[in-house]
Amino acid sequence: MTELREVAVVGGATTKFGLRAATWPELAQEAGAQLFRAVPGLDAKDVDSLFVGAAEPERFAFQSHVAPLAAEQMGLAPRRILQRTELACASGQSAIRSAYAAIASGLSDVAVAVGVEKMNLPSMAEANTSMACVMDRPWDGAHGATAPPFFAMVAQRHMLEHGTTAEQMAAVSAKNHRFANSNPNAQFHEKVFSTEKLLRLPLVSPPLRLGDCSSMTDGAAAVVLAARELVRGYTDTPAWIRGSGQYSDFHNLANAGSLTEWTGMRKAADEAFRSAHISVGDLDMAELHDCFSISEIIEYEALGLCPPGAGGAFAADGSSDLGGKIVVNPRGGLLGCGHPLGATGIAQAVEVFDQFAHRVPAARQVPDPNWALVHNLSGSANVHSMMIYQRGG
Amino acid sequence: MAGAVPTVGSGGRVPGPPEPPYDRPPFLLDFFPLEDAGQTRLAKFFDELRLGRLTTTRCPRDATMAWPPRVVCPTCHGEEMEWIELPKRGTVYAFSAVLAGAPLGMESDVPFVVGLVDLEGVALRLFGRIVGRPWDGCEIGMSVSVEPFDVPDGRVFYRFRAQP
Repeated sequence: MTELREVAVVGGATTKFGLRAATWPELAQEAGAQLFRAVPGLDAKDVDSLFVGAAEPERFAFQSHVAPLAAEQMGLAPRRILQRTELACASGQSAIRSAYAAIASGLSDVAVAVGVEKMNLPSMAEANTSMACVMDRPWDGAHGATAPPFFAMVAQRHMLEHGTTAEQMAAVSAKNHRFANSNPNAQFHEKVFSTEKLLRLPLVSPPLRLGDCSSMTDGAAAVVLAARELVRGYTDTPAWIRGSGQYSDFHNLANAGSLTEWTGMRKAADEAFRSAHISVGDLDMAELHDCFSISEIIEYEALGLCPPGAGGAFAADGSSDLGGKIVVNPRGGLLGCGHPLGATGIAQAVEVFDQFAHRVPAARQVPDPNWALVHNLSGSANVHSMMIYQRGG
Repeated sequence: MAGAVPTVGSGGRVPGPPEPPYDRPPFLLDFFPLEDAGQTRLAKFFDELRLGRLTTTRCPRDATMAWPPRVVCPTCHGEEMEWIELPKRGTVYAFSAVLAGAPLGMESDVPFVVGLVDLEGVALRLFGRIVGRPWDGCEIGMSVSVEPFDVPDGRVFYRFRAQP
């Protein structure tokens, strides 16, 4: 195999996430402005490639061909690779993975990966219609298969099979909301959600309550990736991409198998750890895809942080909090930050970079982090995407 | 684009397209499959469903049974699929309900129940709407049966009905 070049994230930024009075192109402009501000060494003419993570602009913004649109909004004119990456909830990580592949292979030297999603529409039913298209639309979506009832069934089975409780699920949400309180770009930055308060919120899809679900969010985020020899021109604290893994083996819900054993995530993790030459115990922090509180619980298990079935206790006893075995979702997670589909995976990478550079508020700073994992699931947890980063400098 | 040129005597105005009859969502916001033989090679599924039969495809070469029905076997890529009838009874493996946040065309159904159902005697766990019992009266293991029902434009779809 051809020798691959080493690649690092050398900086990044996110817009404010939330219910934004801003269109898709306006969010892309904001991401560009934030990126150039966060990475002072960045010169637009050095960016040879742009990867645009966007899940459903056709639905939410009635706009296709968004890669050149994003380039124009951000003031970029890529000359090597320009493309959109769509992998529903993992569209952002997909953009980073593509940029990584391009640079590692030598086809690109400096690439930007941006994620943009505009999800809040005047009609929530219309927005929910778009979300139901992530599933197998004519066979599952037609019955009303949006994400909440699917992950509610996952939670129901996990409670039945392992005794997981609503309180343990609320503990995940309370932790991530608390972290979001120290992230000004989070959708729920100034909202306090105690476990008691979370357990009183209305049911959306039983057993999931409002606080167990990430929200419809507008937002954008962008990172710069560079080849090894160019990294020092941008930062002293690069986040080296050391491993990656991805796995999918079904789409229609009939082919899901067990709802509670995420074997696809185990396989993606095996590949990510194998390629990074580390094991789960080496990780200092992880950005896990907590689209629902139950997701984070099962992700602890599938990653091997705790035995199968013990994820609820792992959340409730503080093992995934500051001072625990590993810090999970110090950014505030999807639960606290909101989940603009295309932007989420990029914002997680921004958090890893900022954590490595010790640039986040003390309330969420992981002590001296060296290894971080970013995970996104998409759809009905039928795709798992992972990247492993090592702190440089 | 000749039709866009205003003609003498039209008062300079070009008549717009007729207003679509939006008593149903437009096709691209409509969840149900396009079912007729002019749109799909699986029209037989819907023809059988109209007669009360739930069917799917199986590959005669390697016996792979697929859901949803297909035109190519995912195992051997053979293109000669055969139709088989599926059992209509099953038991609920997992369920939840949509109490808020329904898509277009489903808002008046709220609250509604959905679930995964193990069909009797066959290795198939189908997702679908469950009717006939409120969500807080449903339980894992309860018996349901498949029934067809009418959807807009003369189409048909399936759902589960809780057994008394």
